[in-house]
Amino acid sequence: MVALVIALALFFDFTNGFHDTANAMATPIATGAIKPKNAVALAAVLNLVGAFLSTEVAKTISGGIIREGDGGIQITPVMIFAGLLGAVIWNLITWLLGLPSSSSHALFGGLIGAAVVGAGFGAVDYSVLMSKVILPAFIAPAIALSVAYLATKLAYSITRRHDPDSGDKLPRKRGGFRYAQIFSSSLVALAHGTNDAQKTMGVITLVLISGGFQTVGTGPVFWVVAACAFAIAAGTYAGGWRIIRTMGTGLTDVKPAQGFAAETSTAAAILASTHLGMALSTTQVASGSVIGSGLGRKGAEVRWGTARRIAGGWLLTLPAAAVMGAAAAAVAATGMIGVTVDAVLGLAIILFIFLWSRRNRVGHDNAVSNIDNAGGAVRIKKGKSRSRSSASAEARKENARTKDKEHSK
Amino acid sequence: MSIDWFAYLVVALVTLVATLLVVGLYSTGVRLYAISSDAGPGPAAQGRPTLVRAGAYACFALCAAAVLFGVYLIVPALHF
Repeated sequence: MVALVIALALFFDFTNGFHDTANAMATPIATGAIKPKNAVALAAVLNLVGAFLSTEVAKTISGGIIREGDGGIQITPVMIFAGLLGAVIWNLITWLLGLPSSSSHALFGGLIGAAVVGAGFGAVDYSVLMSKVILPAFIAPAIALSVAYLATKLAYSITRRHDPDSGDKLPRKRGGFRYAQIFSSSLVALAHGTNDAQKTMGVITLVLISGGFQTVGTGPVFWVVAACAFAIAAGTYAGGWRIIRTMGTGLTDVKPAQGFAAETSTAAAILASTHLGMALSTTQVASGSVIGSGLGRKGAEVRWGTARRIAGGWLLTLPAAAVMGAAAAAVAATGMIGVTVDAVLGLAIILFIFLWSRRNRVGHDNAVSNIDNAGGAVRIKKGKSRSRSSASAEARKENARTKDKEHSK
Repeated sequence: MSIDWFAYLVVALVTLVATLLVVGLYSTGVRLYAISSDAGPGPAAQGRPTLVRAGAYACFALCAAAVLFGVYLIVPALHF
């Protein structure tokens, strides 16, 4: 049982990795600052390094949301198994839909659902749930959005140049922001490694303790740290290209200066919040930043439809993962047969989702196709020339049509 | 239920200040760099480009320092 939970936990870590590659690497890929493959490799290495750097978060994984220990409920490996199953399946569903949703929320949701089934509604500490998960879910994107908006405005107003004599626009060389993006996004990836790999370490440690393999109150042992680090790095390298597409091109068209502003606000928000004792979801901060940077540049449009879809995904994540965790826990509660049924069913669902995703594959080569093809030498088109070129394309079509008509005559 | 609203405020302010500082600095660097690579406006401006370019590099260096500070914050082993 313990081995099964550990395997599932590592798989969750893997899904977490490829779910969250987008947070750090979507905007640099979209602006062509880094080639897609290099970007995910860089993110993977930084996640790996980050996972080894800190085990602070792992020690407080459950965050007190589920009352465990004296006077609370006894968390069993079966419960954790059910919770993880719910989290993994929800993560895969959102990935299939290309929605950047919070992996931590999925994990919390799954565990809460399983705990409620296992020990009733009293098992959940609602005030902690409110202050640590639900409120930050609204506040994190709001902070990131407004900061990224202001930062983008600032970046554009500082780099705007006019020739004092003729009033013509001078070259602004905003391409320089591309190099900065590499560093800002690397910082986000590193921060992600120090945060998210820890959650799985915490879960595995919890299982080892509850299974009696480890003494209460000790931190994660080395092989757990190493396994989690590699699982999340592998997941990151696999790349959640669907989510990268949504974040990089679905919300708004990102230019290097915007990307840099968004990445910097993401990094600053995550660092500030973790060091002032409040965990914000990396995913929500990053999505908020991208929208904010879209609002900050003149002429950039934010596709609110996509934003609404993402927000809907966020609202659903906790309850949906909880329902799945609860269902899995209810089945698993019937004993060994129930656990087997869960495992087989879970595997079937995972396989089904994977096969379904094959129907329209999104990979490094087509995630942000138009930009990828142009490589690093993307020229930023001016608004005028863009409309002109589309106008001339229209004209050409019109010509072709009239020619066709003449031919048919 | 006690919710620490003050913590959110602090996080928001720190995020705002830090981001604007870094983005502002880098933007200034980009602008100075663009100025320094313009064709010189005349003999009077001799030597100015190098000075401006140095300013640009100083801005970039400060940003790099900010990133390193971020790394320092992430790694608990560095806190003595």
